[in-house]
Amino acid sequence: MNRAAAARGLRPGLALADARAILPDLHCCAADAAAEAATLANIADWCRRFTPLAALDAPDGAMLDITGAAHLFGGEAKLCEEIEARLEAQGFAARTAIAATPEAAWALARFGEARVMPEEASEEDLRRHLGALPLAALRLDEKMLAELAQAGLRRIGDLILRPRAPLAARFGKQLFVRLDALLGHAKTPITPRFEAPAYLAERRFAEPIVQRETIEATILGLARELSLLLARHGEGARQLDVSLFGVDGRVRHLRAGTSRPLRDPAVIARLFREKIEAAGNIDERDPLDAGFGFDLVRLSAEETERRDEEQAHWLALDHAAIGRNRPVADNVIDSKSMERAYCEKPASTFSQRALTAQDDLADLVDRLGARLGLRRVLRLDLADTHWPEFAVAAVPLYDHRSPHPEEPSKGRRLEGRGRPNGQACEDALHPSRRPLRGLLRMRATASGERELSPRPIRLLEKPEPIEAIASVPDGPPVRFRWRRVLHEVAAIEGPERIAPEWWKHDALTRDYFRAEDAEGRRFWLFREGLYETGTARPRWFLHGLFA
Amino acid sequence: MAGEPLRLRQTLPHGSDLAERLSLLRREMAGIAAAAPPAGAAQAHVPLGAAGLDRLLAGGLATAALHEITAAAPGDAPAAAGFALAMAARLAAPRNAPLVWIGEDFAGREQGALYGPGLALHGIDPARLVLVHTANAKDALWAMEEALKCRTPAAVIGEIFSAKLYDLTASRRLVLAAQKHGTTGLICLAGPVCAEALSSSAETRFEIRARPSAQLASAGGRTPLPGPAAFDVRLAKARAGPAGFFPDREKFHPVLWSHREVLFRDALSLPLAAVAGDGPDQPPRRRRA
Repeated sequence: MNRAAAARGLRPGLALADARAILPDLHCCAADAAAEAATLANIADWCRRFTPLAALDAPDGAMLDITGAAHLFGGEAKLCEEIEARLEAQGFAARTAIAATPEAAWALARFGEARVMPEEASEEDLRRHLGALPLAALRLDEKMLAELAQAGLRRIGDLILRPRAPLAARFGKQLFVRLDALLGHAKTPITPRFEAPAYLAERRFAEPIVQRETIEATILGLARELSLLLARHGEGARQLDVSLFGVDGRVRHLRAGTSRPLRDPAVIARLFREKIEAAGNIDERDPLDAGFGFDLVRLSAEETERRDEEQAHWLALDHAAIGRNRPVADNVIDSKSMERAYCEKPASTFSQRALTAQDDLADLVDRLGARLGLRRVLRLDLADTHWPEFAVAAVPLYDHRSPHPEEPSKGRRLEGRGRPNGQACEDALHPSRRPLRGLLRMRATASGERELSPRPIRLLEKPEPIEAIASVPDGPPVRFRWRRVLHEVAAIEGPERIAPEWWKHDALTRDYFRAEDAEGRRFWLFREGLYETGTARPRWFLHGLFA
Repeated sequence: MAGEPLRLRQTLPHGSDLAERLSLLRREMAGIAAAAPPAGAAQAHVPLGAAGLDRLLAGGLATAALHEITAAAPGDAPAAAGFALAMAARLAAPRNAPLVWIGEDFAGREQGALYGPGLALHGIDPARLVLVHTANAKDALWAMEEALKCRTPAAVIGEIFSAKLYDLTASRRLVLAAQKHGTTGLICLAGPVCAEALSSSAETRFEIRARPSAQLASAGGRTPLPGPAAFDVRLAKARAGPAGFFPDREKFHPVLWSHREVLFRDALSLPLAAVAGDGPDQPPRRRRA
């Protein structure tokens, strides 16, 4: 209900007919609950500019944990004013209140006279302030409120003074749970929409920024600040987030995952440049949909991992320090020399070269992932089955949501499966040879000492049905037609019989053949089902292509 | 290069039609542009193993360069991909370096996805392969350029279905990235493309045709068994070849790929026992049979 409506005498809960009677030219439309919820979620997100811990308080509020944040805005009263003024500029009417507990803040925002409950308020003050509020401030349901009203209890003060046991017996325990929460005797947490990031750096602008170059430069600057924070704690970021807070209340998030703990500012900035570039594919001119511009840019490390300083960097640090005739004191990390250390990695010794090589490829993987999407940068992962299409799967090279390294793998897994993806990624990147065990197993199971069963280099997504003619019903094909082209079989090897696992009942046994046609093209064919026991009319499929 | 005047390496034939002369000029220009010495890394040649091919390539496959692989006919696309993978395996073999395969989604749907066990039998360690799938050719070319800026992979293989976007500019970008960072790019044009009409600044262009393998007689005199992978390779373009132009341009060279040695071999017209022994899957006892 906006102010204009309130001024004309409307109030919530009024029947539409009555409202029409008061205001004949009232414009009405149906409430859109989903849109309202989305707007509220937007507002809650936007509130993260004041504190990282912002929770949605449906249906009509947002709850911020401003512990230790208020002084940044000139005190609690100033913060209240700023929030209200900014929301009003966006066209919302808001009431804010600050108190020691979420319940008290909720009550004050809706029913209170005073807006800010001083932090050092005595128990006495608290009771006086809150006691004056109506019982509705306890978030009780209508029915209980009515019952309480019948008992002559209308204000919170009425409850505080009375003995608890009889009231609890009559109205239930909920009443006093709420009261204790209100008065701060019991602590209730808020559930923020996003977890507070481990590290963050932000920059506020008096004039909103619109241009992409400015935003990218800002991100680079923030990345430098963030990398210092991370370096001080010996950590690197695995998951990064850039929040762009628009003047119009919209918040734009850019997220980037990394394949290894990362703290190199240039690399971080490049990741987000790829992100913006990818967004630019949708809208070339205004990739970020800046609108009226952003007045707060925040870079946060959402997930971090321990990252130890490598020897190469230490050397480079040393060089940088010597070069400028300045000793590097312990525990003091100088931003200039850090940056130089990152920028000029001397690749003089072997270990350094190996190190940079690994970083090099990980950088590439991150960059491709940022632009194309994490699900498009893959590695081959062997599964514990001999059924051809499931024997190997392309899985994302890294996924920050992968199970944690310490988590024990369930059941019998092949190498490359139970391990975290970070490790697997390292496998792909690290020079030491680690053959996949599944392949070796294949070598062992085939008959003969060095025999390998033929496998195509490319496997079709689904086996494609072919028309094949065989000289004998269960023999190899003589000719077959695939994609409307007839192939005469010139050489053939097989069958290699692959039966489904015994617990699968719907799949049929396959007889695989490696066939070469007259032109020298090689194919992997199979006949599905065995004669007599399997099916009456076996079908032929083409499954893969050889080089 | 700096002082001496530029000379055309080929003379324009008189009386040829305009389109032909234009394409010749365009190719010549690409040659001049790419002839500048690479800034970063020195070129090396990795011998492929097949003597005939190595001679044409002046010692082997040039690193820090871009090579194109096309299929002679649409049905030869798997052979072209196999040849590209074999060359990549050859490049990766000395230091077991990782490989990057960048494939367009459409090409993957058409020809199938790379299959790990099959790659292992082709001489490639699947654990050291980074696969990148892109939605279109534009992304694939971008990803290839990015990957070529990274020194670690032994080779970057790009499979592009629609060659429309792969033009002089696009190839030039890839060549520059490869030269500057000393990396090797293999671009596999999976779609229908005419090797002669293509104008690009790549170092070499291979046209691949599937070749009947050195078949082995099967027991009982029935249909023979297929042998190891074999290709017919035509060098449609070689910048480093003798005078940039070479006599047997039209000739297909038969080669075998031996995945155990990670080496190409000249395929002989008659299968030899030694050659057949290199096969991926023929146990000795079956050969004697």
